[in-house]
Amino acid sequence: MTFQIVRDPVLGEEVWLATTPNGLPLRILPRPKFRETAAVITFQYGSTDLDFEIGGKRITDPSGTAHYLEHKLFEDEELAVFQRFAARGASVNAQTGFSRTSYFFQATSQVRDNLIDLLRLVSKPHITQENVDKERGIIAQEVRMYEDSADYCTTFDLLGCLFPSHPVRFTVGGTVDSIAAITPETLLQSWSLFYRTGNAALAVAGPVEPQEIYDLACACALPSGAPPARLLSHDRGPIGAARRERKMVVARPKVLIGVKDHTSGSDWQARTERAVRTNVVLDSMFATSSPLREAMHQRGEVDDSIAAGFMGDRTFAVTTLGCESENPAAAELSLRRALAQHVEYTDEHIERLRRRHLGGFVRGCESVRSLAFAHSAEQLDGAPPFHTLAILRDLTLASVAARSAEMLSEDRLAVSVTERA
Amino acid sequence: MIAAVEDLHNRFAGFEARMVHGCPLLFRRDQRFKTFRLVIVMQRPLDDSMAARAILPALMQHGSKRYPDRPSLARARESLYGASTGPLVGKHCETAVMRLQAEAVAGEFLPGRPDQFGDTLALLKELTLHARMRLPNFPAELFERERAQFLAESRSIFDDKGLFARQQAVSLACAGEPYAILDHGGEAAIAALDPAQPAQMLTDFMQHGRRFCVAMGALPEDVPNAVGDLLSLLPTVLAKPLTKTLQLTPRAVVRVREHAPMLQAKLVLILRAPVADNVASHCALQAMLSLWGGGTHSRLFREVRERLSLCYSASTSSDIHKGIVLVQSGCESSKVEAVAAESLRQLDELRAGRFSDQELTTVIATITGAIAAIDDSLASRLSFTAGQWLLENDQDPQQRIASYLAVSREQVVAAANSLWLDHDYALLPVEEVR
Repeated sequence: MTFQIVRDPVLGEEVWLATTPNGLPLRILPRPKFRETAAVITFQYGSTDLDFEIGGKRITDPSGTAHYLEHKLFEDEELAVFQRFAARGASVNAQTGFSRTSYFFQATSQVRDNLIDLLRLVSKPHITQENVDKERGIIAQEVRMYEDSADYCTTFDLLGCLFPSHPVRFTVGGTVDSIAAITPETLLQSWSLFYRTGNAALAVAGPVEPQEIYDLACACALPSGAPPARLLSHDRGPIGAARRERKMVVARPKVLIGVKDHTSGSDWQARTERAVRTNVVLDSMFATSSPLREAMHQRGEVDDSIAAGFMGDRTFAVTTLGCESENPAAAELSLRRALAQHVEYTDEHIERLRRRHLGGFVRGCESVRSLAFAHSAEQLDGAPPFHTLAILRDLTLASVAARSAEMLSEDRLAVSVTERA
Repeated sequence: MIAAVEDLHNRFAGFEARMVHGCPLLFRRDQRFKTFRLVIVMQRPLDDSMAARAILPALMQHGSKRYPDRPSLARARESLYGASTGPLVGKHCETAVMRLQAEAVAGEFLPGRPDQFGDTLALLKELTLHARMRLPNFPAELFERERAQFLAESRSIFDDKGLFARQQAVSLACAGEPYAILDHGGEAAIAALDPAQPAQMLTDFMQHGRRFCVAMGALPEDVPNAVGDLLSLLPTVLAKPLTKTLQLTPRAVVRVREHAPMLQAKLVLILRAPVADNVASHCALQAMLSLWGGGTHSRLFREVRERLSLCYSASTSSDIHKGIVLVQSGCESSKVEAVAAESLRQLDELRAGRFSDQELTTVIATITGAIAAIDDSLASRLSFTAGQWLLENDQDPQQRIASYLAVSREQVVAAANSLWLDHDYALLPVEEVR
């Protein structure tokens, strides 16, 4: 097998790229002097993949299907997936997001057996009526746990306001009612449609031999081919509601403002540039180094609970800003004013924030787990290795200022408030 | 003022050791890493000064002689490629510990190869020795702002019902013991803080704290001299003795049921054990706890969650140097008693030795696998080494692995039999949730 090897000369990092004959893309990050190996297989299938088409027929799954499937793949005929990994000293787990599901292990020995097992558990579902029914109660308790989290509820209230027709408004695990409608047939159908080599990426980081990893990946029994056509379009339309309020018993009321982004798209280059520039804009305004934040704090309008973020996917994107406050109305007003404020950027400013983000990127290279997750996601996006680094190095004042100007708009803004009951 | 310390060198294998200006320094240049990390640890007893100690990191962010306010200090860190410098304060068993930390990307991996180590240490020195909060004219409004923030953060634990239940249960079970003092010192103590106290506690940490320094990663050639400049400026230590952890005897189980508006009940069982005074009993107890509820291989996961579907989560955690073990679960309120009963039934199974050799082998493989990975992370390795020093132990990860491999079935059974149930606490939902 001939690998494509990509190196970053400054960091000294290298990534080996290949695709198996069955179509599974693979990235290997050899770390010969380390002890731990992390392997992640990620599928481009998450909680928002509810509507798709097969043979001209539209299928709509209940919310929570991707997460339910993730749970069920940890059960096989031997009923001991976790125990098998543990016996080899490995930890194994999975996570479901809006658009991806990842399965991973970390181990300091028996990497070969662990990788074979990881690839087997995603390739051979053991889904029966009995084990699906048994899992329902466990997942319902997980759903309940999240429904007790005020931050979680506030976030999904906001997404519901901003995205009236996009499934990102549904919680990842679904609801107790929605998971009641999930059957073994639903799960098997989802697995057979989305768990395919053409919809997956495998990344392995650690003291491994690339050729051995490639050979193991070649033995993966995942079906080949692409997933079905998703009926999931970009949501760039108007927001559904400008406001949602709820009451919960919380230590302090919570305010979360979101601005719907109309620039979401499937092009990885544009999406990464947008994410990097947005984070620089938000840091300029709301990091502890920001005079704007300090002034808001000094006026008593917000405190250190203030947090800003950006979530940008292929079909949706949103900038968020929130805080906790005994006076949520005043805090909301202050946050709105801050978002509307014009920030003057300087070269020193951009250089400082570039450094901060470059430092964060280098730190990410210290962990095999971070590396494996980042590279499996990057591969699925179709982005080349180190492209974030290149975007950071090329960051300009003009590009940040332009992003700042397009990001925020009152007519795309919604607020979610959780008051104290 | 730099001396080789053969004794320390032998104890902390893998590190070079020096005594620098009266402070033990362990360091390891490890070229696998692109970052470096240095920690100066200072340890004092856990007492009613905890609030004044715990608020220190927040107050010390408000500038120094060179950086007059919080934003300018934050900008200095950003310019150092997001370096982190400053103190962390927390509980370690029944002591209060301040960690002065410096962490950054090494200059050789950055454009222009800047002197990141020197500059980051200079920033830590500036922050430690010239913190604005130590000055008599430190603005009262900044102190009040941080006090209000600290109070809000201490109350916000209520929003995480699992953590809140744990805090309530530990406070009740350990009432009267230093361990009951919360990480933030408690709301009443924060409200009663005198503005002068935090600076006094900073001085107390530096003058009387049991002190130790450890560094690892992409370090410069001459670490002792590079670090010596900072250590030479700290006050001479007049260490005061630390109190020993109380040994408790079994007492009648206390059952507590509290209520809060929420959906899912939280169960916390608190068990006590003799404080492990040697490595063998320490490892045996940890192995037993892993077998009982230490992950997806454990009895609690397999029996309580997977076989009986009683809950989403059920696990054990512990501070075995205090002799305290917790079982925590989130479940429907109607299943709280069943989860508690089954959890304790599983403990009885272990007490009776009803577990397979394969289960024990799996537990040891899980624990030793995790320890073997410690050397791959600066944060984990320094935390492990600092933890060993705080507890006056002297094992490196390989020695610790060997100790776990020596754990026998009989030792695990004995460890299970050493536990006794002390508190059975549950936080239950009330109806008018939302």
